[in-house]
Amino acid sequence: MSAAARAVDVWKVYGVGEAQVIALRGVSLEVERGKFTAIMGPSGSGKSTLMHCLAGLDSVTRGQVMIGEAMVTGLSDAGLTKLRREKVGFIFQQFNLLPTLTAEENILLPLAIAGRKPDQEWYQTVINTVGLADRLSHRPSQLSGGQQQRVACARALASRPEVIFADEPTGNLDSRSGADILSFLRRSVSEYGQTIVMVTHDANAASYADRVVFLGDGRIVDELHSPTAEAVLDKIKSLDLTVGAPE
Amino acid sequence: MIKASLRGLLQRKLRLALAVIAIVLSVGFLSGSMVLSDTLNARFAGLFATINENVAVQVQPTKESDNGERVLLSAAELEKMSKVDGVDKASGEVSGQGVVPFQSDTGDEVTTQTTIAAGTDGRDPLGLVELREGDWPHSADEVAISANTAKLAKVKRGEQLKIFVPQLGEPKNYRVSGIVGYSGGRDSLAGEALILFELGHAQEMFYGKRDVFANASFSAKDGVTHEELKKRIEAQLPAGFKALTGEEVTEQQSNVLGDQFSVFQIILTAFAIIAAFVGIFLIYNTFNIIVAQRSRELALLRAMGAGWGQVVGSVMLEALIVGGVGATLGLALGAGVGALVERMLTSGIGLGIESAGIVLSPWAVLWSYAMGILVTVIAAFVPAIKASSVPPVAAMREVVRPDKSLVGLTITGSCFLVPGLALVALPLLASVPQSTLILAAGLGLVFIGVMLLSPMLAKPVVRLLGYLVGWGQAGKLGVRNSLRNPRRTAVTAISLMIGVTLISAAATVTESFKTSLENDIGRYDVAIIVLGPNTAPPDGRTGYNPTAMDKVSQLPGVTDVASWHITLNGALGGQPYPGLAATDVAVAQRMWKMETIEGRLGKLSPNEFVIDDNLAKDRGWKVGEKVKVRIEAVERDYTLVGIYKATPTVSGPLLAEAAVDDFAGGLAYQGFVSVSQGTDVAATVASVDKIMSDYPGVTVGDMSAFLKQFNQIFDFLLRAITFLLGVALIIALLGILNTLLLSIVERTRELGLVRAIGLSRGAVVRMVGVESILIAVFGCLLGLVVGVGSGAALSQALIEADFMTTIVLPWTNLIAYVVTAILFGVFAAVVPALRAAFLNVLDAIAYE
Ligand SMILES: Nc1ncnc2c1ncn2[C@@H]1O[C@H](COP(=O)(O)OP(=O)(O)OP(=O)(O)O)[C@@H](O)[C@H]1O
Ligand SMILES: [Mg+2]
Repeated sequence: MSAAARAVDVWKVYGVGEAQVIALRGVSLEVERGKFTAIMGPSGSGKSTLMHCLAGLDSVTRGQVMIGEAMVTGLSDAGLTKLRREKVGFIFQQFNLLPTLTAEENILLPLAIAGRKPDQEWYQTVINTVGLADRLSHRPSQLSGGQQQRVACARALASRPEVIFADEPTGNLDSRSGADILSFLRRSVSEYGQTIVMVTHDANAASYADRVVFLGDGRIVDELHSPTAEAVLDKIKSLDLTVGAPE
Repeated sequence: MIKASLRGLLQRKLRLALAVIAIVLSVGFLSGSMVLSDTLNARFAGLFATINENVAVQVQPTKESDNGERVLLSAAELEKMSKVDGVDKASGEVSGQGVVPFQSDTGDEVTTQTTIAAGTDGRDPLGLVELREGDWPHSADEVAISANTAKLAKVKRGEQLKIFVPQLGEPKNYRVSGIVGYSGGRDSLAGEALILFELGHAQEMFYGKRDVFANASFSAKDGVTHEELKKRIEAQLPAGFKALTGEEVTEQQSNVLGDQFSVFQIILTAFAIIAAFVGIFLIYNTFNIIVAQRSRELALLRAMGAGWGQVVGSVMLEALIVGGVGATLGLALGAGVGALVERMLTSGIGLGIESAGIVLSPWAVLWSYAMGILVTVIAAFVPAIKASSVPPVAAMREVVRPDKSLVGLTITGSCFLVPGLALVALPLLASVPQSTLILAAGLGLVFIGVMLLSPMLAKPVVRLLGYLVGWGQAGKLGVRNSLRNPRRTAVTAISLMIGVTLISAAATVTESFKTSLENDIGRYDVAIIVLGPNTAPPDGRTGYNPTAMDKVSQLPGVTDVASWHITLNGALGGQPYPGLAATDVAVAQRMWKMETIEGRLGKLSPNEFVIDDNLAKDRGWKVGEKVKVRIEAVERDYTLVGIYKATPTVSGPLLAEAAVDDFAGGLAYQGFVSVSQGTDVAATVASVDKIMSDYPGVTVGDMSAFLKQFNQIFDFLLRAITFLLGVALIIALLGILNTLLLSIVERTRELGLVRAIGLSRGAVVRMVGVESILIAVFGCLLGLVVGVGSGAALSQALIEADFMTTIVLPWTNLIAYVVTAILFGVFAAVVPALRAAFLNVLDAIAYE
């Protein structure tokens, strides 16, 4: 089975000379289709950078990125836009919604941008799963943080992208709303075969995933399959030495 | 606090740049017009100073005429004053107006700004001009002319020069006895023509008798000051005369000219104020948005204990600095442009006067700063108050700005709009005193009302317009964005509305007037019009000799001719009435299909007159009324024998032909010719033109030619208004640009988001473009509605006054304005849209 997304020996260097920061040092990763992958690691280890490179939001300095069969590396802005529109869904930590649109319009926005008609059945499934049926006509400002994040999840799912990328989607939520979101993401993988890549700091969040990839100082340092929260925490402790290691 | 706001200012310099530009433009306009007229005045003052160089004292009549007799200085009186101790030389002036030389080759009039015609006895005691070749004029058939005149008329010494003198009624040939020039080898002072007649001949022509002068100038012996000489001469002054020093004369002459420029300057100032007014909205929006974006920072300051006044003060300080910087730059711009335009103007009309340098008067500086600072302080006041009311807790949480209710604004707006509409309707439905004033006040209230209601109107109107331009998802997002803050959209749109209102009102009135005139004139039996020159106001000394019309009546096909004598120097019933006409009313009645309302029209006997019904109503006069009519200095009792229906073409008082005797001269100012069916009008026009060729400045044309000329004047006026509103429109354009730029900064993260989920660059450009176009078209539509409405109301008022007959909407213009607004929207969107499109997606998402 081919990977939903793939990074091959990806390097990412910011700045030049004195100010040079190497965020990724030859990362190779295959994101399995229909699986929930979590990326963990200490702050500054390059999690977000890796995700942005995989999602076509940022260019790589060296190496290659593919989504499905499509080569991401080397695409023009227009090509990247098209790729994001058709193959990728996003959930950010915050500020996911357009304040001028209702919840429903926000959910359907990627489809509208692509000029695609929503699949009614799927759409109903999605909003029922996230439990938003009675909030659809509300504006983001009338929704709680947890509800906003659920709308963002629904939006990412609505177009059934190849991969959904989520950067700390529960980072701004209390544990209860966070758990809602995570179990929702879990269900969409298990029941509907959606591929999700999630960056997180939280061992508990990572335990929802099928696989956890650990980054340290721009490299993949380890990984866990079918993790539990305890296993993740143990792994973090054992990896602690590499955290913040000087260049 | 001050330090904090200064630092803030620097950080926001880009955002404030547009506010500064708005001030620079409006202040530049104002100071430019002031510098222009001051510089021009200085240049002319220099000219007059040259002319009066050798004049120590000048003796002038205190008033032009007394009981119809022109006040003149006799030779004996001049002789007596020239004996005053300290007088070196004395010179009496004899001069006439309306004298025009003809070109020797083409026979056309010499075209020049002015022709000075004077008498000379061969001496020029004050030495203004010197003989270059030939001799002074010694007989009634000779003239000396300036070298410039010789060049313009293409004549040499000894040749014949045809000259028109109004008092003679017909042109006459003179032999050029000599050529004169000015000191310093100049051919003219300022491009004018100079004709010197033999003294006695000039006196007879201009004053009707010999040995009299209009005024006298004296030079002083060494060691006698001008003031001292003035005192001594004053002791010898004849009754009805006053003495001025040479300096006072220069000032007097400059002032006369200055008054003419000041009208020009008032108009420019009015448009500069409009531009500044538009600027207020731009600056208001800038500060408003900046304050909104800074509300966290301001709240933090408040939380740290900054007082209400300190927060207001910090925003006002920013405003003061912006205003001060804008005013300084505007002043510099104005000085430069004003001086440049002055250069172009003076060289354009061939004025050979030396420049006196750029004049930047203290008033120009004062007004520039007053305007620049006032405008920004007014505009920043409300945002400053708003800033101070940011609650300190806002610093702690994400500031959510809920849509503020528009109820208050809507109620206030209605409080202006409803009474405004009532005031507009009142004078149109009922006859009330001071109707113009009421109408103007009403229109003002309506304008303010619509301005206040515009945020409320923004939602439905923009949504409706959105259906037209909001194609695709990008378009829809653009429509949503323009709807999200109706106040901001409205304030931005108002800046465009102001200009559009004025232009469309003017266009409506002009179009209505043009059509009315066209319709009305088509009804009459007049084929050809003869018009006097427009160089001088008519008083009987400009135009043509009515005997010429007798020749015209002999032409084949001509059925009727009429000469109208018109003077601006008259009074009716004790009130000055510029525009008294004397003509054969019987012919006028036939030609213009005049409708009798009361009494009789037809041939009038001396001291009879008729008026139109509006004037009769206005003055409350009935047929049989005895009315005092003054022409020049002569006042007589006239009897009102008839009242006729006013039309756009004929209105006002018509006097019996005998009144011409009281006019300053016997020349007719307008003539009309009717011809029988089938007559070749073009050929007749040519024949009439030939007959009239002896009279300078008189033009002949058929009705349609004159209508066209008339329409051109209106079109020119409309273009001039549009042009002068240009600065206001540019500021409005900047206003849209500004709002978009600031909105885009505000929405950076949203832009990042939509880009991340797949909106292309092109779509982002379209999104911003749609918002921009919507704002522009909304402003334009508001302006069109108010402007066309006002124009129609004004036209209706003019219809009531019989100035016109119909209201016509200038559709082509209106469509052009909407198209321009769309282009404005597109232009304004370019920079903001590109900025938005080329935002780095990741940076935008992470933007704080
Ligand atoms: N635009 C940039 N310019 C320069 N350096 C950058 C940029 N973005 C990230 N970096 C650097 O790259 C490294 C990796 O950053 P990244 O944001 O991927 O970390 P992260 O693992 O997501 O951390 P966190 O858990 O704090 O979000 C860091 O050292 C960071 O300082
Ligand atoms: Mg991160």
